[in-house]
Amino acid sequence: MTKPSRLAVVRRNLKLILGNPLGALGFGIVLLLVLVAIFADFIAPYGYADLNVRDRMQGPSPAHLLGTDQLGRDTFSRAVVGTRVALLVALPAVGGALFFGMLLGMTAALGARWLDNAIMLFLDTIRSFPTVMFALAVVALVGPSLATVVAVVMITSVPVYGRVARTQTLALVNSEFILAERTMQASFLRILFVHMLPNIFGVLAILAALDIPAVIALEAGLSFLGLGVKPPTPSWGVLLRDGYALIRSTPWLVVAGVIPVILATLGFTFFGEALRDVLDPKLRGRG
Amino acid sequence: MPAYAAKRILLALLTIFLAVTLMFIMIRAIPGDPVSILLGPRATPELKAALIERLALDKPLYTQLFIFYRDLLHGDLGLDVFSNRSVTAIVFEQLPFTLELIFAAILWSALLGLALGLLAAARPNTRLDKALAILSTAFVAAPAFVVALLSLLLFSVHLQWLPAIGAGESGNIPDRLYHLVLPSFAIGLSWVGYIARIVRASFLEVLGEDHIRTARAFGVAERKILLSYAFRVGILPVITLLGVGMAFLLSAAVFTEIVFARPGIGQLVISSINSRNYPVVMGSVLVSSVIFVVSTTISDLVNAMLDPRIRSAL
Repeated sequence: MTKPSRLAVVRRNLKLILGNPLGALGFGIVLLLVLVAIFADFIAPYGYADLNVRDRMQGPSPAHLLGTDQLGRDTFSRAVVGTRVALLVALPAVGGALFFGMLLGMTAALGARWLDNAIMLFLDTIRSFPTVMFALAVVALVGPSLATVVAVVMITSVPVYGRVARTQTLALVNSEFILAERTMQASFLRILFVHMLPNIFGVLAILAALDIPAVIALEAGLSFLGLGVKPPTPSWGVLLRDGYALIRSTPWLVVAGVIPVILATLGFTFFGEALRDVLDPKLRGRG
Repeated sequence: MPAYAAKRILLALLTIFLAVTLMFIMIRAIPGDPVSILLGPRATPELKAALIERLALDKPLYTQLFIFYRDLLHGDLGLDVFSNRSVTAIVFEQLPFTLELIFAAILWSALLGLALGLLAAARPNTRLDKALAILSTAFVAAPAFVVALLSLLLFSVHLQWLPAIGAGESGNIPDRLYHLVLPSFAIGLSWVGYIARIVRASFLEVLGEDHIRTARAFGVAERKILLSYAFRVGILPVITLLGVGMAFLLSAAVFTEIVFARPGIGQLVISSINSRNYPVVMGSVLVSSVIFVVSTTISDLVNAMLDPRIRSAL
């Protein structure tokens, strides 16, 4: 039996995801969001900070697809540029959490007993802060910014990845194929990089895909509280913050802010779950 | 069981101890002078001197840490920068509002989630099951503050069915419940999804076990199998989930309290951040972490009590 090429595996998995209606929907939405984020400057019909006081607080119209805000800025353009902010927070934060979680989890599993205990206790300690509460404490001390949001999300997510990486590593160390590699005198580094890393990474990647919606929601939430990105940077949370302040005069701002958040969380969730079902059928339906 | 309980409680205490230490380090690790940070821009020289004295900032670090713990053990979280009232009193004044919200959310979402999950588990792979799966996933994905904003827009501003602001008149129970409807709906909705999914998965697993097959072979009614035999084991993951749920709901409550202008610990933290009242921020965060650790510990203990296999895991 020849080993299928990497490209063929990706193509097969993509086909499986697209074969599931929700997976296809999720994939479509994710692709759309990524494209919107990349080409935001071309898609947005107006500048995200362009003021036009004469046309302020309008409802949707052909000129302003999602209406305008209290300063006459085009809400659609702001939502489009906000996509970039959302992904700029979510992807590095989840990627960083995955990396450090894997590092800590594998170290705990392969290291000495005391190191294992110390790392796990450290992760449990971080986990003992409710995410938003921890975020608020950090923001209060170091001030709000995009970097703070990324750091907070990364720190609070590391324990979950660390725990899973540890369990996965422990299971692998005792598995038969690793034992076989050892008897064949494969070096430690070869076992680590060729055999263990890909197996651990797969599980963590699924976790990461399922984590992205929560991270997007957290960024939007912090920005909604005025503790995330700073104006005039248009985060979806900032749109909602403006909308909330004006909820009694116009419903459009809230509606315009809610649409991309719901689209993103649903899209990434459906995509992540389809990805999980394809890559790890054992996890199916675990919730 | 006593050995497991002792270990688990010890671990919880250790976690709380470390969380407090982490908090202490965080405050001290901030660049600049902790007194100015803790007191904010309104600090007078007298206030600064008093805080240096109180936190023993002129003493070595281990003395500071010791004093920090000693005060905490006495339930002393420091003083409000503005009113000079005890932070402990302020936090515990707001806490009942948040707990009331969380319990209301857990109650309705657990009941509905359980019902939906059982429905799906009773008819696996039917159209109903698939529809419920999509619905649960959509619920899980919906962020609490988005649900809060939309329900505020629809039910309070547009239809004007439910109140938009506050927690209701104190002592007037119907009024307070009335004010709980929308906020608890907002933070409970994703839990309906979580619980429905976990209930379905767990019951399907249990229903495939031998003792259920035996019961079926003896002709026990399907309803009785589901609600009695399978229930005892199938319900376990829900209990674990509820412990974790406390943390999620504490986080979600922050947003909901802001959206519905409800009093509570989230509202307290946000207003304290905005007024740079750091002792109150830190006190609230510590109290909510302790609540979280206690609730996960309790759920672990209950779980171990119900399922002896778990006891050997620690």
